[in-house]
Amino acid sequence: MPGTDTAAPVIEMRHVNKTFGNLQVLKDINLSVQTGEVVVVIGPSGSGKSTLCRTINRLESIDSGEILISGEPLPEEGSELAAVRAELGMVFQSFNLFAHMDILKNVTIGPTEVLGMSREDAEREAMELLERVGVASQAKKVPAQLSGGQQQRVAIARSLAMHPRAMLFDEPTSALDPEMINEVLDVMVNLASQGMTMIVVTHEMNFARRVADRVVFMADGEILEEGAPEEFFEHPKTDRAREFLDSIRGH
Amino acid sequence: MGFTELWSTYGQNYIDALLTTWGMTLVCFALVMVIAVFVTVLRVSPFKPLRWLGDLYVQIFRNIPGVSLLIIVVYALPYLNVVVDYLPSVIVTVVLVASAFGSENFMSGINTIGVGQIEAARSLGMSFGKILRRIVIPQALRSTVLPMTNLFIAVMLTTALGSQVPLDPPELTGVVSYINTRSTGGILAFAVSALGYVLTALAIGFAGSRLDRKVRVLR
Repeated sequence: MPGTDTAAPVIEMRHVNKTFGNLQVLKDINLSVQTGEVVVVIGPSGSGKSTLCRTINRLESIDSGEILISGEPLPEEGSELAAVRAELGMVFQSFNLFAHMDILKNVTIGPTEVLGMSREDAEREAMELLERVGVASQAKKVPAQLSGGQQQRVAIARSLAMHPRAMLFDEPTSALDPEMINEVLDVMVNLASQGMTMIVVTHEMNFARRVADRVVFMADGEILEEGAPEEFFEHPKTDRAREFLDSIRGH
Repeated sequence: MGFTELWSTYGQNYIDALLTTWGMTLVCFALVMVIAVFVTVLRVSPFKPLRWLGDLYVQIFRNIPGVSLLIIVVYALPYLNVVVDYLPSVIVTVVLVASAFGSENFMSGINTIGVGQIEAARSLGMSFGKILRRIVIPQALRSTVLPMTNLFIAVMLTTALGSQVPLDPPELTGVVSYINTRSTGGILAFAVSALGYVLTALAIGFAGSRLDRKVRVLR
């Protein structure tokens, strides 16, 4: 990205507001993520955490406030926006692999179509990435032939193939059967340990404890608490956070 | 007139007519596909006036009887100093009507894709045009093979509009009038043409379902 300020946070949100109809889903959101940081966003459903994640690459527009990517304002549309999106990986709850392409093609299409990489180079790198997430043997299958956990790992490889400066995870394990959650989380733990900058919206509290540099707690569109995971999980400051933590620890 | 006499007298006419019908059908369907894709791209474009234009096209040509449109093309356009020969007139009529239906098929194909894949493509930094070409259109094509097979057959049957204008050689429906004004072929003259339509339709249907099994997108 041109004009990148290396000292600036990779992602910065300043006074961001958004409404859906009469419902204010984001209220004066301020969040800053430094290079290499892993920020986990948690909160009850409907708290706006997914929306927050989706505004960062403008899958959702915002009503007011500012979003800066490496110090540069997020463009509103066109090829400038596409260029920023290409540098932010996004992993969705429902995987969203391209159904008509085999796994290898799913991973190479970004680099070949957007970065202009040659097919040979893209395929070599894609195979390395698929190896890294443990689905290289499935390269010639189509998404519907893979389990949810495998599909999500392919989706992560697809994002990594773009060499993103940060990755956004929007509830990446919420659509998975329990036995498949760990295979996806393991890949994410690995990524974090290799220094990837990540924002992760999740309900996986153990992941948050193990991997997060910072936990952000949201409720009703607001960030109510922000802090180190141990501090947050052991000594939540707000009643909402205490209630939320009690409700998920109940059994 | 029995079949033997009918065929020995007019067999060559039937064969020419069948080839004319096949030729018109192929040309029409190829044009239908191109125009249907184009109209559908208008209908999903990010610009409202283009979407409006695409919808208008479909609403007009989906709701106009083929014969009425043919009359307009043949008899009304010359008043605007647009004179189109008979064969192209029939082809234009068939293509205008069928491409409206073709676009509807594509739209339902696009609706099966789901917004998630589009969002994933946008997140990779793909432009609107690339998303259409690499993600949306290929899946819409693959998931609409069966409805497009129906449309292919409908296009063939609609080329019977050619019987309303002088074509040389006539197509399968027109050839019946040609024969029945010269001999008393009666219902048998129709039956031979009908057989031509039916066998062609069966072949198209068979090929369509084979193709569908081959390219269908697993979900």
